[in-house]
Amino acid sequence: MMKYIIELILSIGKVDRRWIFLVIGLAVLLPLFFPLGLPIRATNATQRVYDAVEELEPNSKVLVSFEYGPSTKPEIHPMAIAILRHLFTNGQKVYVTCLWPDGQFMAEDALTEIAEEEYGLTYGEDYVLLGFRPGNEAVVKGLVSNIRKLYTTDARGTLVDQIPMMANVNKVKDFDFIFSASAGYPGTIEWVQYAADPTGVPMSTGTTSIQVNDVMPYVQSGQVKGILAGMPGAAEYEALIGSPGIGTSGMDAQSIAHLVIVLFIVFGNITYFIETRRAKKY
Amino acid sequence: MVIGAWISVFLTLAILSYLYKDNPFYKVAEHVFVGISTGYWTSMFFWTQIQPNLFGRLWPATEYDASSLWYKFYNVFGVFSSVFPEGGIAKGHDMHLIYLVPFALGIMMLLSVSSKLSWMARWGIAYTVGMAAGLRAYGFLNSNVIGQIKGSAFQLVNSNLPYFALVGESIFNNFVILIGTITGLMYFYFSREHTGNFGRLTKVGIYFLMISFGASFGFAVMGRISLLIGRFVDLIHYSSSTYNHATLWILLIMVVLLGYSAFMDKSAPIEPPAK
Amino acid sequence: MLWKRQIPILIATVVGLLTLFGWFTNNPGIESFVNDDATQWFDILASFAIFLGALNLMKLQGRKVLKQHSGWQYSLFTIGGFIFAIVAGFIYKGNDAVAWGFHVTSKGTLFKWMFDFIFTPLSATMFALLAFFVASASYRAFRVRNLEATLLLVSGIIIMVGRVPLGSSISSWFIMYLLVLVGSIAANIKLQDKIITFGVLLGGVVIVTIWGSLAGWPVDQPSIFYLPMLQDWIYNNPNVAGARAIMIGIGLGIFATSIRYILGVEKSYIGE
Repeated sequence: MMKYIIELILSIGKVDRRWIFLVIGLAVLLPLFFPLGLPIRATNATQRVYDAVEELEPNSKVLVSFEYGPSTKPEIHPMAIAILRHLFTNGQKVYVTCLWPDGQFMAEDALTEIAEEEYGLTYGEDYVLLGFRPGNEAVVKGLVSNIRKLYTTDARGTLVDQIPMMANVNKVKDFDFIFSASAGYPGTIEWVQYAADPTGVPMSTGTTSIQVNDVMPYVQSGQVKGILAGMPGAAEYEALIGSPGIGTSGMDAQSIAHLVIVLFIVFGNITYFIETRRAKKY
Repeated sequence: MVIGAWISVFLTLAILSYLYKDNPFYKVAEHVFVGISTGYWTSMFFWTQIQPNLFGRLWPATEYDASSLWYKFYNVFGVFSSVFPEGGIAKGHDMHLIYLVPFALGIMMLLSVSSKLSWMARWGIAYTVGMAAGLRAYGFLNSNVIGQIKGSAFQLVNSNLPYFALVGESIFNNFVILIGTITGLMYFYFSREHTGNFGRLTKVGIYFLMISFGASFGFAVMGRISLLIGRFVDLIHYSSSTYNHATLWILLIMVVLLGYSAFMDKSAPIEPPAK
Repeated sequence: MLWKRQIPILIATVVGLLTLFGWFTNNPGIESFVNDDATQWFDILASFAIFLGALNLMKLQGRKVLKQHSGWQYSLFTIGGFIFAIVAGFIYKGNDAVAWGFHVTSKGTLFKWMFDFIFTPLSATMFALLAFFVASASYRAFRVRNLEATLLLVSGIIIMVGRVPLGSSISSWFIMYLLVLVGSIAANIKLQDKIITFGVLLGGVVIVTIWGSLAGWPVDQPSIFYLPMLQDWIYNNPNVAGARAIMIGIGLGIFATSIRYILGVEKSYIGE
């Protein structure tokens, strides 16, 4: 009996990788149709972002920067939307910039969905889309010294001097908080190095899962107040603000897929041990 | 919108069909991707960099003078009115003729497409390399080295912090980070053999590095699965009746065609090697 | 030779020294050049490099089609895709209300349509494909051969499971039972004594069961075995230590390499 089980394990260990692809595909697809509704618990890093935003006085000026594109939209867009919801609920003034050209498309989609349709806010008084400017960290440095040199008009072509909420906003130090929704370069690290650190304006960030380890040292040293790590981070933030969104709906699929991969690793190692013991015997 | 949905679903499923095996659907999608992304980035960089920042500084609208030779030259190009609108380029810049330098370097780069003139690209590349070296040398030394060393330093005796805490700061946690950072750095010192006491310390260092790599692996898996979820959500969205069940139809056609080709491959006789 | 070798090296050295010392100089001319113009020139040259790449691509694909090399039919799709993107970028706007220049970042244009329905699905799916290969690699390649590999895998597994909602639903007592099982397997491999193995297993199970019954089986206590807490500790402490060591190493490496480029010691960018 034992021998039969061992032979079965070894034969599964040599299976064609396409069966593995199929199993992963199903592990991700099925929970999207049949959600499990697993409870989401916020980690410490996400809680710190929430607390930093919650501590802001109403009518604070918050700079939100969109630096992600379509390939990383599933991870970052949910957190950008959740942050906007939190800020608008608390009555903050939101100024949106983009260091990536695709970021402007993402920002427009997010602002249309949340600011315009959900909250019915007024453009120019409650939120403004300054838009994309090329130059990577030169844009961040430019914002720190003089916003009006960089932005003579906003993304819709209106002169910045004619936008009511831009009055008395001339440089980064005039903002109360910075949030960077970032998928790579330029992104969080440039905001920390050239804006938050030199000016002392508090900042938080949301990044893709892959980028998290690059930013963690800044979070640990307090230069960045917490971090939303990938789609799970977005789902945790949605749970904290009480508005489940796209992030939450993907979490069941994420959980099952992770479990399946862990089981693959464990199973693969069991096969490896059996093969090694056999090789030692002979 | 509906046509766009069908194209989007076709391209998504074509790329995913690579998981079965390399096939014409995947090759078509891959080649389209290369062509479209090259054209996309060309257009994007031209309209966001070259036209406003380069041409906008060589022929700004603020200093437009139709009688000057420089702007007469500009008006010749005015036939491309989208790029060179009448009256100069209004992007809020002043004239900086020094920008003729990057313009010249850029043209030299483009000329290097011909194999005889390929050396011309070196000037532009040399500028890029020199500039990046100068900027990054300071930036990385300041934030990555000095900044991180500052972050690792902590008060050995701090009555405000607990000795141990699983979540949040504690003296034990600060020690772990300090020891891990120092031993990790020691591992990268290859000018000395890793033996004896030094070897033991570098071994500790490598354990910390392995934990870090394991965490990076975990995050990489998390990121990739999230992207896959995003694609599946889109495919499910496009399978609705608003889009005429695009996903279902295209999936069916692809499965039938790939299955047929797999069947034909299996039943085709194995040809003897050519003599 | 002067044009092809000496002058590029001179350009790299002069520009490198200028930008490096620009950080430490108070001269307004140099400062304004380094802070504003130098990065703009960099971005302009990067754009020309993209154009060069596009030209090279069309040259290669065009040659493939003309000479009918193997797979030339697919090159037609590359050329077609490129032409479509250029038409959307330079020739046909699709929305007259938007000015040229703004059309690459505005809604309602052909360019945005191409971005939404062609570029986005292609780039997103290419990235998403890696999810499958990661799973396949996990199954076929990740083996616990030594302590280092074990640490890598264990920390990866704890992060993967602890970070998702499923991890918060797994009780710490389950983890403790799992550790008892692993401990008894390790004892069996090391000591090869059935009695000791059985003793470790039984003893472990009894201790955990009594402890759990007394505590009332809380899901998240003892917190050191609760996956989300353990994951948080690993993420914030040893992981940061390793990441920091790598960051410092990279910072020093980049500094050293930059100085080599500026001094002309490193000449790989001109192909030497």
